[in-house]
Amino acid sequence: MPNIIELKNVCKSFGNTEVLHNINFAVEEGEVVVVIGPSGSGKSTLIRCINCLEMITTGELIVDSIRIPDEQGRIRQIRLEVGMVFQQFNLFPHMTALENVAFGPRKARKMNKSKATDIARSLLDKVGLAEFENKLPGQLSGGQQQRVAIARALAVNPKVLLFDEPTSALDPEMIGEVLDVMKNIAKDSGMTMVVVTHEMGFAAQVGNRLIFMDDGRIVEEGKPSDVMKNPQSERLKDFLGHVKHH
Amino acid sequence: MDFEFSVVIDSLPALFEGAKLTWYITILGIIGGMIFGILAGLGRIAGTAALGEKPHGIFIWVSVLIRYISGAYVELIRGTPIIVQAMFLYFAFPMLVKAVTDIERFRIEALTAAIITIIVNAGAYIAEIVRGSVISVNKGLLEAGMSLGISRFQLIVHVIGPIAIRRMIPPLGNQFIISLKDTSLFIVIGVGELTRQGQEIMASNFRALEIWLTVAIMYLIMTTALAMTLRHFEKKMKMF
Ligand SMILES: Nc1ncnc2c1ncn2[C@@H]1O[C@H](COP(=O)(O)OP(=O)(O)O)[C@@H](O)[C@H]1O
Ligand SMILES: [Mg+2]
Repeated sequence: MPNIIELKNVCKSFGNTEVLHNINFAVEEGEVVVVIGPSGSGKSTLIRCINCLEMITTGELIVDSIRIPDEQGRIRQIRLEVGMVFQQFNLFPHMTALENVAFGPRKARKMNKSKATDIARSLLDKVGLAEFENKLPGQLSGGQQQRVAIARALAVNPKVLLFDEPTSALDPEMIGEVLDVMKNIAKDSGMTMVVVTHEMGFAAQVGNRLIFMDDGRIVEEGKPSDVMKNPQSERLKDFLGHVKHH
Repeated sequence: MDFEFSVVIDSLPALFEGAKLTWYITILGIIGGMIFGILAGLGRIAGTAALGEKPHGIFIWVSVLIRYISGAYVELIRGTPIIVQAMFLYFAFPMLVKAVTDIERFRIEALTAAIITIIVNAGAYIAEIVRGSVISVNKGLLEAGMSLGISRFQLIVHVIGPIAIRRMIPPLGNQFIISLKDTSLFIVIGVGELTRQGQEIMASNFRALEIWLTVAIMYLIMTTALAMTLRHFEKKMKMF
């Protein structure tokens, strides 16, 4: 399969502090890549660079054959093809679940209202929230909000979905429902996914590749089960020891 | 001390005229102040992350200029008393115009000066209300919208705008009431608003208690009407 995302010698600095050091990283179409690593290691920054919520400082980013920095003017095109799910859900608080999901198709894909609403209904159904379509985000549980957020990201029909710790803000009993939805998306639609998470069960079950980041670098990568069973670096051994105890 | 109710009745027609003028200055002042306030408030955060992405190229400098002009306006107005602003506009500004141009008979009507003063003064405070409400909107919502490929303009109109407007209503109500009461200061430039009318009746009959009590109640009725209008808007908006 061809690469849909490619980072070549990418560095990212905030002010004078470099937080990503010379990253080389590619994702094939249909691949599910899981990214793990300690807090502050640059996982969020890495995936935020992919949809240009952060601009890379040096190097090259190629997403769906759009090149950054050469084609800065096409950032919106990249974002149409690369959806994102956030740790804090970030649902629009003044819109109902249905309006949240229909907003992207209407404003980004310029669909008419009834078509956008149809798409939104079928996606809410897919994430198991059909009967909650008229609820505001504040009236939903964390797990339900995150499922709406996933439906919202899917609604613009992207080629890639990025997840930034989608279950970290949830109560333990709600993690499963969100992971189930993510598993279904990976299996049914063959969606390309880059998932930052510490859910090692999910990584083993759904991930095609596991990436361990530390201090702004990709330290280890490989098949999830291999990486988990045979960590090479002390840092990863240490890290795995910590997540397992949670 | 005796309270003559007939004094109140006799004073009502003149006081009503004053109240009408107070209301007129306030409404025009608030409408103009909202326009100034929205422009200056958004101007102070032009080109910052609060309104989405940072600008490129020449727009960086344009946005810096807009921020400085808006900031200077707000600080200038907040830093000087409204009564000084009114007197400057009514007495000093025409002299300034005469000095730098050869227009001999330049004059500003007292009523015009009053309305402009409220517009400019309320505008500066409303700018801060607008700015505060917009930057209080969770930046994650913008990121979520941008991640869907939605344009910045659409996000300002459909996400930041509606959320910020809900948060503006209580402090705006406050400012509208302050502006209404500020019109009483225009007694110094001779505008026949409510306080001035009260003062003139008082000067002819010396019935301080009846007149100032009536004037106070009339202000209270007007401020209550303003507050209730805003409460109505607040309730009508879908809350979350
Ligand atoms: N907007 C920002 N400004 C300055 N520093 C930042 C910013 N975002 C992240 N960082 C820094 O970059 C480093 C990596 O952060 P992040 O990508 O959030 O790590 P992770 O997601 O792995 O916890 C951290 O040291 C963090 O403090
Ligand atoms: Mg993070």
